[in-house]
Amino acid sequence: MPTDAFPIRAVGLGKRYGSLTALTDLNLEVGQGEAFGFLGPNGAGKTTTIRLLLGLLRPTTGEAVVLGKRVARSAAWRGDVGYLPGDVKFWPRLSGEETLDFLGGLSGRAALARNGLLKRLELGPAELARPVRTYSDGMRQKLGIVQALQCTPKLALLDEPTKGLDPLMQQAFYEIVADMRRHGTTVFLSSHVIAEVERVCERVAMLRAGKLVTVGTVVGLRQAERRRVVAHFREPVDLAALAHFGEVVASAEQRVELLVGQAQMPALVARLGMLPLVDLLVERPTLEEAFLERYR
Amino acid sequence: MSAMRVLLRHHVRLHRMPLVPLAAGLALFEWIMTFVARQPAVSRFLTSALNAAPPEFLALLNQDLVSSVSAQGIIGVGYAHPFALLMMAVVAVRVPSAALAGEIGRGTMDLMAARPVMRAAHVAAALTATLAGLAILAAAAYAGTLVGLVFRPVEGVSALRYGLVALQLWLTFACWGCVALAASALSREPGQAIAWAAGLMAGSYVLDYAARVWTLLAPLRPFSLFRYYEPQRVVNAGISGIDVLVPGAVGAAALLVAFGVFWRRDL
Repeated sequence: MPTDAFPIRAVGLGKRYGSLTALTDLNLEVGQGEAFGFLGPNGAGKTTTIRLLLGLLRPTTGEAVVLGKRVARSAAWRGDVGYLPGDVKFWPRLSGEETLDFLGGLSGRAALARNGLLKRLELGPAELARPVRTYSDGMRQKLGIVQALQCTPKLALLDEPTKGLDPLMQQAFYEIVADMRRHGTTVFLSSHVIAEVERVCERVAMLRAGKLVTVGTVVGLRQAERRRVVAHFREPVDLAALAHFGEVVASAEQRVELLVGQAQMPALVARLGMLPLVDLLVERPTLEEAFLERYR
Repeated sequence: MSAMRVLLRHHVRLHRMPLVPLAAGLALFEWIMTFVARQPAVSRFLTSALNAAPPEFLALLNQDLVSSVSAQGIIGVGYAHPFALLMMAVVAVRVPSAALAGEIGRGTMDLMAARPVMRAAHVAAALTATLAGLAILAAAAYAGTLVGLVFRPVEGVSALRYGLVALQLWLTFACWGCVALAASALSREPGQAIAWAAGLMAGSYVLDYAARVWTLLAPLRPFSLFRYYEPQRVVNAGISGIDVLVPGAVGAAALLVAFGVFWRRDL
């Protein structure tokens, strides 16, 4: 696949601050038009990665190629990138409209999507005329989303995009992302909200302490994790007979809950058939459970 | 619209409000000096006061006033007065500190640097805004002198001479603006940049003063940038080559640091 088929490509990317290693040897490719989720606990290196991809930080090792351009070599490619920082800050005395005009002007592209975004995020002319210092956290976040996406970027780097948004606005944001993707925009979304990543993204990467733990599709990650099996029996059963198939995480007298790997499922079902089974529930893990399982 | 123009408009928007009272204050101050200069009573008072004053005080004024207290000299004092210097220093430090370190400290540099703008353009825009702000203040100072002398001429005093003084005032503080820009490029917070730039400026001023009153320190005087700013000398003899060369060289070196550091640093 040619290089520019991957809007994001990180090769051995690393960042150290003195003795502190923020990111180690990150190798990652995000495909054209893909919605890619970036998960990890606080301090895992998510924001560092995004800032390295934008060239705001200079890498200690490796390099990043964004939209087919080596990040350190030029700046013009950033015209096709929309960026929402995790903790977005504005100029307190500027109005919302002045802020959007200024940042749109710096992008060097017409802000064709601005009016549509403002409408969907319910930021009206009255709000835009006010100084940003009078905005609530939610309004600032909405302004942050609009400034990132107003110039219809080819690549959107969004760090915690729904922070501070109410559920209705979160819904509006998801619809905006879906529309962008229909128009071919690649979305790189860093979030703590796993349900959000699960909803928006096809593929995810998980970071831990600056290292990539795993990369895969949301479905694949969920499938790879152990199933939650809840079995109800007519009478108490011997737990040792079930513990052989997986991890018993809870048990009452007639109810047993286990985590079981996919490979052990047929044998477990066969064994359960020999016991006085009343009810059986098998659940795939949510991405959140898969995430927690990886970080436990 | 080019990114440079957009950045310049941004600086104008952020700094226009403080610039207006600073320029007005400086113009008014220099106008008052022309008014004071033509009062015979003031000249008599100053003559007797300066004759009685200790040399350390006269050195503080950076003027050779003891030998002749003239209207020309009094107007020249207006350009070396700490008030005028302070007004210029505010712009020379404030604009560059707010432009780079200020944006980084506030967290807004991320939004700006994530755009298709070379980092050098951020430094160049901050430099242009600083030089323009200082030019407005120097022009305002000269305008105050000019208005005072045109509407009520003082015998033997030409307003044109103070144009050169205003130019030298601008050049001196343009150099300090470049130093502040280098400090800003090296800092993560505006307070840090302001502390460095203002500290260096104050140190240079104190060195110049100390070297004039204390002969032991006299050989160090050339190391102070204020050594190359003497309004009285400019009024009498024009701008000398070294008074342009040294601030120009220091400013250029500071700019190299600013561009070089900001190009490479983490934001």
